[in-house]
Order: sequence, then structure tokens, then C-alpha cells
Amino acid sequence: MSSQLGRCTSLAGGALLVLLGCSGTADRPAETAEQTSSLPSRVPVTTTDSSGDDGQWIMPARNYASTRYSSLTQITAQNVAQLQLAWTFSTGLTRGHEAAPLVVENTMYIVTPFPNYLYALDLTQPGAPTKWTYKPDPALASQGVACCDLVNRGAAYWDGKIYFNSLDATTHAVDAKTGKSVWRTRVGDINKGESTTMAPLVVKGKVLVGNSGGEFGIRGWLTALDANTGKLAWRAYTTGPDQDVLIGSRFKPFYSQDRGKDLGVSTWPGDAWKIGGGGVWGWISYDPDLDLIYYGTANPGPWNPDVRPGDNKWTAAMFARDPDNGEAVWAYQWSPHDLFDYDGVNELVLLDLPIKGQTRKVLIRPERDGYIYVLDRTTGEVLSADPYGYITTTKGIDLKTGRPIEVPEKAPQTGKVVREICPAAPGTKDWQPSSYSPRTGLLYIPHQNLCQDEEGVEANYIAGTPYVAAIVKMYAGPGGHRGELTAWNPLQRKAAWKIKEKFPVWSGTVVTAGDVVFYGTMDGWFKALNARDGTELWRFKVGSGIVGQPIVYRGPDGKEYVAVLSGVGGWAGAVVAGGLDVRDSSAALGFVNAMKDLPQATTKGGMLYVFALP
Amino acid sequence: MSSRFRNTAFAGQRGRSGYGCHPERSEGTIAMAFNRPFGSFASLRMTIASLRMTIFATTVLTLVGCQREERNFQGMPPSATSTMPATRQTGLQPGPPVRSGPMNGPYEQNAYGVSQGKTLYNQFNCSGCHFQGGGGIGPPLMDDQWVYGSSPENIFETIVEGRPNGMPSFGGKISPDQIWQITAYVRSMSGLLRKDVATGRNDDMQVRSQEQAADKAKPVQSVIPPSAERQ
Amino acid sequence: MTASGMLSLIQQSHSVLNPSSPQARLIDRLWDAMYLVSVIVFLLVVAALLWGTFRRRGPEAPETDPGRERSLTTAVSIATALTVLILFGFLIYDVAVGRQLTRGFGKEALQIRVIGHQWWWEVQYRDSIPKNWATTANEIHIPAGRPVALELLSNDVIHSFWPPTISQKRDLIPGKDNSLWLQADTPGVYRGQCAEYCGNQHAKMGFLVIADRPDSFASWLARQRDTALTPTTALTRRGQEVFLASTCVMCHAISGTPAGSRIGPDLTHLASRQTIAAGTLPNTRGNLAGWIVNPQSIKPGTRMPPNQLDPNDLQALLAYLESLK
Repeated sequence: MSSQLGRCTSLAGGALLVLLGCSGTADRPAETAEQTSSLPSRVPVTTTDSSGDDGQWIMPARNYASTRYSSLTQITAQNVAQLQLAWTFSTGLTRGHEAAPLVVENTMYIVTPFPNYLYALDLTQPGAPTKWTYKPDPALASQGVACCDLVNRGAAYWDGKIYFNSLDATTHAVDAKTGKSVWRTRVGDINKGESTTMAPLVVKGKVLVGNSGGEFGIRGWLTALDANTGKLAWRAYTTGPDQDVLIGSRFKPFYSQDRGKDLGVSTWPGDAWKIGGGGVWGWISYDPDLDLIYYGTANPGPWNPDVRPGDNKWTAAMFARDPDNGEAVWAYQWSPHDLFDYDGVNELVLLDLPIKGQTRKVLIRPERDGYIYVLDRTTGEVLSADPYGYITTTKGIDLKTGRPIEVPEKAPQTGKVVREICPAAPGTKDWQPSSYSPRTGLLYIPHQNLCQDEEGVEANYIAGTPYVAAIVKMYAGPGGHRGELTAWNPLQRKAAWKIKEKFPVWSGTVVTAGDVVFYGTMDGWFKALNARDGTELWRFKVGSGIVGQPIVYRGPDGKEYVAVLSGVGGWAGAVVAGGLDVRDSSAALGFVNAMKDLPQATTKGGMLYVFALP
Repeated sequence: MSSRFRNTAFAGQRGRSGYGCHPERSEGTIAMAFNRPFGSFASLRMTIASLRMTIFATTVLTLVGCQREERNFQGMPPSATSTMPATRQTGLQPGPPVRSGPMNGPYEQNAYGVSQGKTLYNQFNCSGCHFQGGGGIGPPLMDDQWVYGSSPENIFETIVEGRPNGMPSFGGKISPDQIWQITAYVRSMSGLLRKDVATGRNDDMQVRSQEQAADKAKPVQSVIPPSAERQ
Repeated sequence: MTASGMLSLIQQSHSVLNPSSPQARLIDRLWDAMYLVSVIVFLLVVAALLWGTFRRRGPEAPETDPGRERSLTTAVSIATALTVLILFGFLIYDVAVGRQLTRGFGKEALQIRVIGHQWWWEVQYRDSIPKNWATTANEIHIPAGRPVALELLSNDVIHSFWPPTISQKRDLIPGKDNSLWLQADTPGVYRGQCAEYCGNQHAKMGFLVIADRPDSFASWLARQRDTALTPTTALTRRGQEVFLASTCVMCHAISGTPAGSRIGPDLTHLASRQTIAAGTLPNTRGNLAGWIVNPQSIKPGTRMPPNQLDPNDLQALLAYLESLK
């Protein structure tokens, strides 16, 4: 095994070249090949794997295809029960820790929640001491425009630099070895309600960042900065005229409702598109063969739909763009005239799957509205959309038109209370990313099971203050459990197995070639499951609930390590991270009502936990 | 004596004698008194006494209600700067401490002001960060933890000046009079106002019990929010 | 047209007895009929009373004279029957008028949503094309001769919509959507009033329904759909700065600027309106200045607070607001 690994990792010590990932089949032991005989003989991880050497973790999604799959095999379903704590690191902060640690050249990089410290830990020394700390000093006032705790979803590594965002709409490039600032660029304005919480993606020498603030009446955008200088390369707005949205002659949307001139203006009343939301605070994927980046846009603002008739393009949608100049190649809107805060920013897993006898280049999106979409990533055609949770807000997706079939009684209105809106505003799944194993062929989706009641109220746009105009109260969906881990089979289009959890599963998942999937719960259990059948194999109680993204890496000693940040928070954990009062059901946009028991189940506090076999 | 009191007090109450259907019975209902104004002297004295008590009680309640419902639209709005002594956020002072008397915001006893404050609290998007007191983007306002002081003038300053960890500065954007109204409402959220001054249930979807029913949460000085801690 | 001339025109046309629309005429005719019949009945009753008081009485008739009893019974029965018939007649007439007033709107009706606030009227022109939505306040323009369907909602308490010369009353009830249709025969300015006590300034919650010729209505609506004119002079630019830097921006929206609050009336086309403060004052520079500086002296209890502005800033602000045609 080690020699095979050695083959794949022979360049680990040298300069990092972007390689096509070693195919999973080369490392698979013989018996596993039999077990996967029901799958096609070669299910490639993806043709777009570009994570470099195995054993590192250079971007939160692991690779441009966003599989979050590690091909390390030291930890297996058979031995994971022996996993034990190797070392820990306290961040000293108490807000939600949503980031994925990075491991590059035997250094681990962690971005904390506000005030967004970047720690570099030396993995070659026992106990991983801090090499350096970079403190971006974000504006204190930016804490007032962050809707959902003061989180940060991680950094990205490229060409000797670490790139990450601080909360006050500033992107930083830091030298990975010395911790000195290379450049910092202000990309947004907190006085307009903008902030940045997403993990950037570096593609072809450009750092892609998007803004947050759909609850503050921002105008959403995706910006590309030159990775060496930090200067603006291009900016694609989510709303507005075609020239701002970078829609030009190359734009060929698949569905007719997405064709037309200046739809980013005409599908809004007056100039509501200027405060229409549509931030880009989630995940971006990239296909090097097609040379397209894929990302989603967030909810339109305000939540109360009465004041924004029309389809509200291009919010709650996704774009395929050329990374060099940002021009749009195709787009698809998940939720035209979104009524339920179904941000369209979740991860997009790029796979080549056999569908109806043909291998198709697809992307899979476990979407907020409760459907697992499979789209053809060359054209934007919806090949399937199957529910993975309980849904009352739509009756299905009409594959002929691509539009959701709405349920008019569930539309929120000013002055009227609508009950049993399922899924609730965080959707069946929010930002927390899923992972895909080419060995099992399953997508491991961490998500929730929530419903809500909502009443629309008067919408007053006052720049710098929230622009939501709805009173919301969430509660557990059918069954009473608020979280689920679903193992979804995209070929069979159904769940292989599901695990029910008491609290929403707000952490990411990671799956390995050892057929183990890791995830964390909000009451502080870090768990390992058998990736094939979902049997729980191991669990460990950490200090605070887990809302971060676990990673798997190989340490300098050759051992396989699993690392995860604990520190409850995020939108789901705001009741603990923010010390909120559970007597107000509408607090934290209604989430507090569904999490009244969280303060008894966990306290706050950020800590990195790293596990390994003894 | 007691049997007579049973039949006195409020008109319309049926005493043993009924409604005056039996005028020959002379127990002292008020109705009886009016039918027979020159009835027995004892019953007349009883009637006057009960009348006096009624008038007294009504006057007291009306005056209290007057204060509670007073609306002064034409007076100049109270200014933040003119007559207010320095607003302090700590009791620690150098030298012998100067004790200033308890300061009251102008709307602490005024139900109309508090209800206007509630309307403004929602319209100016205070509810967008603080929701109905539970907090979210901003800290809760219905609990006993106060980071920047719980007295009316402290809350007034917080709204006017903003605070470093994300509270915007509304000075110059909301008139001082309206800020005092919002201040009074904020204090009512944790039960710091009298129950007859605090507001009742909304017509909106109910997400918290009414402010009138809030038990008084004795203010406690809270530490600066942890997110503001630097290393 | 001068402000005072316009004002007298409004006052002239304010009377409910001066109908200017099919609906108002129906009501007026019903009123006339009831009035006429009431007058006749009144005269008859008074005549009967006088006759009964002053008629020459004959010798005392015996107590129980069957003939007399019978004639008395007949007379009372006839009078009662007549009364019932008249009242039933009016009931039927009234119901018929009511049905006519509320009959369904044809497709040609223009849809307008009116939302009552304390103490002003928000008016939204809705369209199937979202780009064509327009919002204004206190002044409803309609095309003369074309039916208009009004959707009536309330933001806070119960109000009532009543332009007496062209329409019946219809309440605006929070939590309920009411509707009303009306049609103005001829172009003109028709004043309306809130007709349900709604707080301190109920008395000063008026509005204007202005019926335009179809072409001027179309151009008015097109202008209302536009964003506000950008200030072109230094003074109006300063005025816009003052607007955005003061309390104004918290409550008022001006489309095309960062001001987007709906607490108070939309000011995007303020200068195109004939009155301010919900029909309380003509829209002149002096009135506007007084209103901005101290609305409490004009409408005590209104939601707008006094605003102490530097005199130069006030002049700039007025110049800017006057430019918002």
C-alpha cells in the first residue's frame, strides 16, 4: 500500500504542480472491486480533480470538482474504532467555527471566525506549534451586518499564498511561509450591508470572492481579483443590466424563461434590483476541461415577496462562467421569485455519470429547496430533481420548463401568517457541504429537517440595517428530529441510507478511500460511519458543537490524520454563540425557536481536534 | 350595617329589595335613593358615602390614566444635549463619587410613548437585528444582560452614538423624541416598566409573550461581547 | 392653475349631492327617492296629526262602537301596510343599488392598490410587468370614463375610503382585502376623505382623485414609473445630500436614490402632487417648509417628527424636493 501511495505522492516534497488526481481504482484493494460491481467498472472521481498531491488539503472542497474525498486508506472502516485524539489547538474565540483547515506542505492553516485570525501550525513539530499568526484587523462594525453569526468558511492556497476573506468585505493574500501580508483588497462596503464569509477559490491565477448580505439589501456579485496583485480583474453582478451581469454573446441558457435582454432589471419593479440581494457567499466549482466556473447566487431581498414581483433574476440561481473574463455561458434559476429564502449557493459536485446509457458531464446540487438536482454542466439542462426531505412549498420541478411547481397557499404575504412552510428558510440543506465517494458512488449529505411559520411585515429599506420584512418561527419537521445525514445514490436517484440526528447536522462531511465518512453534530459528537451502510463505527465528544468542515490529511510522519474545528455557532448555533434569549421565537430569523435546547446540550468555544490511529 | 352595605354601591346591582319593584321596602340601593330622594336619613348618608368613594376612586384612576396617556405634540422635543448630565457607563469615578439622582426618560410612565416606541422599533429595523427581544445579529434586549448600561440615558446614548461592535449610530437620523420612545420600549422588553405602561399583544404572529407580562429582569452588567476580544 | 383656484375647485366638488360618476349617481338617485318619499310621508303624517288635533268632534261616541272600531282598525291596517310596503320597496331598491355598485369588474378596469396608513394614503399602480409598477401617495390619478378597480388594504387600523362625488365608502380593514370599483365621468379633481375614525389626525386624512383624459393619464403614469430626476444644479445636489444625511431617509423613499423606506409617503414625484400631508395643505414651497420643520403644529400627533435644519440646508432641500416632478 505504501509503495502505491508513494507513487502518487512522490512529488509531495517539491513544488506543487496541479496534477490530475490519481484514479481511485489504482489504490483499491481487490475485494472492494467486487463489491462495487454494481457500479460501472470505472467511475472516475472526476476528470477535474486538481488537488495536487494526495495527503494535502489545499482548498476546503478538496478539489475543483468539490468531492471532498480523500484517497488515503490508512484509516478504514475496520480500524477507525481505534481512532484517538492526537493533538488539539484552541483558537481562543467563541463564535461559530465553520472553516475547513488547510494542510499544505506540512503546515496547517486555520481561519477563525471574527476577528478572522489566520493561524499557521507547524505539523512537523510535536504538538503542532504555531508558526505565525496573521491578524487582519477587520472593522469591528462589520459585526453589525453579518446575518448569521460571525463565521468564516475557510481559506484557499495557491502559489505560495493563502487567500481568505475577513468579515468586513476585504480579501487578504498572505505569504504561506512567513505570514506577511502580500496584498489586501477591500471588495465591498459594510455601510451597504455587505460582508464576506465565504472561502475564496483560486482559478487560473484569479481569486474568486463573493459577498454576503442578502438580509441587508445588498447587490450581490462575484469578483475576480488577480492572485498576485489583488487588483480587480472582473466583477459579475447578480442583478442589473446584462453588461453588469457579464451576459454577452456567449450566453446560452437552456430554458426559455432565462432568455431575454436585461432580465436582471425587467424582472424587478422599479430599481429594486439595486437592493435585490443575490450574494455569492457559498461554494464555487471549476471544470478545467470545459474551462467553466460554476456557482450559485443567494436569496432575493427582502424575504417578503410582496415588494418584489417578478422572477427577480438572477437571484437564487446559478451561473456557468468563463474564469478569464467572467462572461456568462449559461444560467439556471433554482427558485424564480423566491418566496422562502432558498439561497442557491450550495456546493456543486462535478461528476461524470452514466445516465440513460450515456456518460454525461453533470453537476449535482443538493439544493435548499429540498431537491437533489442533476444538471448537464455543459448546457444547464436539468436532468433530474428528486426530493431528499419533506417539502410543502413546491409540488415538484417541471423538467420541461425547469420551473418549480409552486403551492400558492404557502406564499408569505404582508399581514398574513402562513404555517407549515417546509423546508424552512435554511432549506433541507444550507451551506454545509456534502462529499462524494467514487468507491461507493454515494453523496454524503449533512442536512436538516425543519419547517416554519412566517408572516410578512412592512419592508423598509434603510441602508446598513436589515431588509427582511418577515417574522419567522422554525420548528422540527415531521418525525421530530431536526437533522439528517443522507447517503444519496445519484444513479438510482434515491437515498441509500439515512441517519437521523437530534440537531441539524450543520457540519460538513468528508469521505475517504477507507470507506469512512466523518461528520460532527451540534451537541459535540464527532462521528465516523461506514460509508457503505451508515453503521456508526466511532464517536468522540469534543468540547463544543461542530459546525466546521472535517478534513483528512497525511502528516509528515506518514500517518493519516482527521482534523475538524469545533466551536458551535453559525445560523443554527447562534442561540449559543450569541447568547440569545429562547423566549423570543423569532430570534435569529426564527432559528432560535427550533434550537431552544441547544444551550443545555453544548457550550461555545473554538478548538481544533486532530485524530489519528494509535 | 353589613346587610345595608350589601345593597349599596353601584347602581343596577340587585339588592334584597330588588329594583324598586317593591317601593315599600326601604333598604338603601342607589336606585331607591333616586326614587325616594327624601327617604330615611341613614340611607341617604350611606349613599353619599358610597358616591364619594366612587368619585374619589374614579378621579385617582383618571389622573393616573391621564399621565399614562398624556400626549404632548406641541412641546419642543427633549434634546439629548441641553439638560442631560454626563451619561456614565460605570459607577467608578475618581475622587468622591458624585451621586446623581435616578434619571428617567420622558416616556417611562407614558403608555402612548411606549407603544409608539414599539412601532418605531419595528419600522426602523431594530427588530432586524434584535428581533422581538431575543437577539440575533445584535444581543438580546429582553434578558437581564446589559453591555452598555440599562438606564434610559444609557440606552439613549447607545442608539444615538452606536457602539463599536456593530450597533449603528442613529443620531441625526431619528429625532431625539422618537429615540426616547424607542428607549422606553426597549426597557419594557425586560419588564423594567410598570405593567400598565408596557404594551400588550401584537396583532402579528405571536413569537413572545406580551411585554406587559414580562417579569422584571434586574439589570446585570454584562462583559463586552466575546467577539470583540482581541489577543 | 393657482393653488387657491385649485383649492376652490376641490371645495366645490366635494359635496355628496354633486355626483360625478355612475356609482355616485345611483346613490344620489336612491337618496332623492328616499328624500321625496320621506317628505311626502312626513307631510301626510303631519296633516293627519293636525286633523286629529283640530277636527270638530261630534257627540261622544259610545265606548264600543263596532263600526268605529272597524274603521279605526282598517285605517291603522292600511297605514301599516303602506309603511311596510314602502320600506320593503326601499329595501329592494337599496339592495339593487348595492348590487350594481359592487358588480364585478371587467377586464378593462385599471387595478390600483390603496393602503391606508395613519394618516396618509399609499397608492400603488400594479401591472403584470413588474417593471411598470409605480408608487405614489395621497393622489390617485385615473383615466376619465374608464372603470377603476381599487384594492383596499390597511397598514395599521381601520380607515375608510370615501370620495363622495364619485363613490360610496369602503373600509380599509387590517388583515382583510377589500375592493371597490369606481369610474369618473369627466376629467376633474375630486376630493376624498377618510371616513372611519382612525386616530388623532383622522380629520386631516384627505386625498384627491384626479380624473385625466386618457392621453394625459398615460403620460402621468409613465412619469410615475420613472425613477426620480437626478439633481442637475449645485443647490438641488446639496438638497439631495441633505435629504440622505438627515432623518428624511429613515422614512421616505425616492426611487433612484438609496432612500427606500416605506414608513412615510413615497416622495419620488412629490412635486407632481397638488397637496401635501394627505390633502391638508396645497403643495407650495412655504407650506412644504413649514411641514418639514414642524409638522406637529399642522397635524399634531402625526408620525413625522419636527426637523431642525440649518436654513441654507432647508432651502437646498426644498429646491431638491421641488425638482422631483
